[in-house]
Amino acid sequence: MRAKRLAALAFVVLVIAALAVLPLFVKKDNIINLASLALLYVALASSWNILGGYAGQTNLGHAAFFGLGTLLTRFLWLGGWPLWAALLVGAVVPVILALIIGAPAFRLKGAYFAIGTLALAQVLNVTVANRWPMITSLPARYLATYRLMPRYYLFLAVAVLTVGVAYFLVKSRLGLGLMAVREEEDAAESLGVSGLRHKLLAFGVSAFLAGLAGGAFAFYHVGYYPQFPFSPAWTFDAVMATYIGGTGTIVGPIIGAVFYVIVKELLALKVVEAHLIIFGILFILVVLFLPGGLLEVWSKIRSALGGRAKSRKAALPAG
Amino acid sequence: MLEVERIDAGYKDLQALWGVSLRVEEGELVALVGPNGAGKTTTLKVVSGLVKPTAGNVLLDGRSLLKEPPHRIVEMGISQVLEGGRVFTGLTVMENLELGAFGMKARKAKDQNLKRVFSLFPRLEERKRQRAGTLSGGERQMLAIGRALMSNPRILLLDEPSFGLAPLLVEQIFRMITEINKQGVTVLLVEQNVRAALELTQRAYVIENGRIVGEGSGEALLSFESVRRAYLA
Repeated sequence: MRAKRLAALAFVVLVIAALAVLPLFVKKDNIINLASLALLYVALASSWNILGGYAGQTNLGHAAFFGLGTLLTRFLWLGGWPLWAALLVGAVVPVILALIIGAPAFRLKGAYFAIGTLALAQVLNVTVANRWPMITSLPARYLATYRLMPRYYLFLAVAVLTVGVAYFLVKSRLGLGLMAVREEEDAAESLGVSGLRHKLLAFGVSAFLAGLAGGAFAFYHVGYYPQFPFSPAWTFDAVMATYIGGTGTIVGPIIGAVFYVIVKELLALKVVEAHLIIFGILFILVVLFLPGGLLEVWSKIRSALGGRAKSRKAALPAG
Repeated sequence: MLEVERIDAGYKDLQALWGVSLRVEEGELVALVGPNGAGKTTTLKVVSGLVKPTAGNVLLDGRSLLKEPPHRIVEMGISQVLEGGRVFTGLTVMENLELGAFGMKARKAKDQNLKRVFSLFPRLEERKRQRAGTLSGGERQMLAIGRALMSNPRILLLDEPSFGLAPLLVEQIFRMITEINKQGVTVLLVEQNVRAALELTQRAYVIENGRIVGEGSGEALLSFESVRRAYLA
């Protein structure tokens, strides 16, 4: 058991180290861009998974928190704030929004939370997304000093932080509470595990990390349409990457995100917009036939080989 | 020790309990029996705080529980096993038990309580790394009871522990309940299996249509004419 844990730790350190030195060996910008995008998607999917996978609450408004993070960080950073402070504000404000929305929405059972968050994202999309159109392109003096490396490292840091937070949260007593609430909320309540508190906690953490990912995106992007960071695509990409990899697991969203970004890139080159249809079909197939995602394939192979299946699949959201 | 005083309670527009009163003394094993839909489960949920009554009071050692949230009531020593056990099927047996010791106080005594649960239900220790979803019906009920014991309760509320189990298992579960009671845990048991429950308990209440219609020793109720006619014929 102990040796296994050490091996896993060594593997994690190795992967992070490899990602850290990647830019020293790879000089092509398009590869670094692709890696940055993959890391962004790891952060997005892992942050969505904290609430969607572990607490079983389907948030269809993840783009709202990501977009808000982008908007605020970009505005403050271009306004002369130090980057770290701008990032912090871009992560904290989404938490406040999440708590304001979550407190009433979690009292309603069923599909209300999903619908409510979807509506929230759309409302922000048409109200605040276009608030400061001038910030969407970087001014000349920022462009003059623009280098890709710091952006890549910021994405790496955000991805590592997100996965790390998810891991330690899930291993903690609070994580156990989250899963209990997902599995059987009444039974959890009867044991003294408050459903509302745990869901709010998961929502807050998820929104913080999504806002932070949005902030990294604000630091990265040279120029975009004002509404772009609030696009529902950010939500659905995160949902699809999580489901394809395996919801309610730590590794699932990572594998799903990397797979998603690479396949999307390959498909986008060849079939352009048709990749959306392909992912739509893939998503339906996964939900219907492989509720544990790609990780389930892995654990099936392992148990077929005599090992013990360890992946823990989330209950699919009802309705 | 536990007093339920003239409780009215229900769900939205539907009133389920009408002036229900009962009391359970320290160390007792008391049953609440009655047909489906009589209000047995609602009564238990009022005690554990999952349903808030519209009138009446619930007292533990003279202190009202009405304003306490469910997790506080668990910490005060009342633990409930819901109907059907409701174990967390996606989690392991061990994780289920850990969730039973979720409160601050219970966490400190976790190892000790775990030992006790495993000595009561050795089967659970054999299966502690398995997912609860892989357990049989009887094992799930054991897990549900074990999980409730993890908070080291003074009072255990059991909702239909015999539900859906084969007769042999019912007997086994009831033996465990007696054993737990002998170890000093006060038990309030809700059952549809009236004969078995009345044979087991010192005292019982009969509930019908949301009202308490009878009270007495298990033996007395067994010979009580309307009980005989209604449940034992």
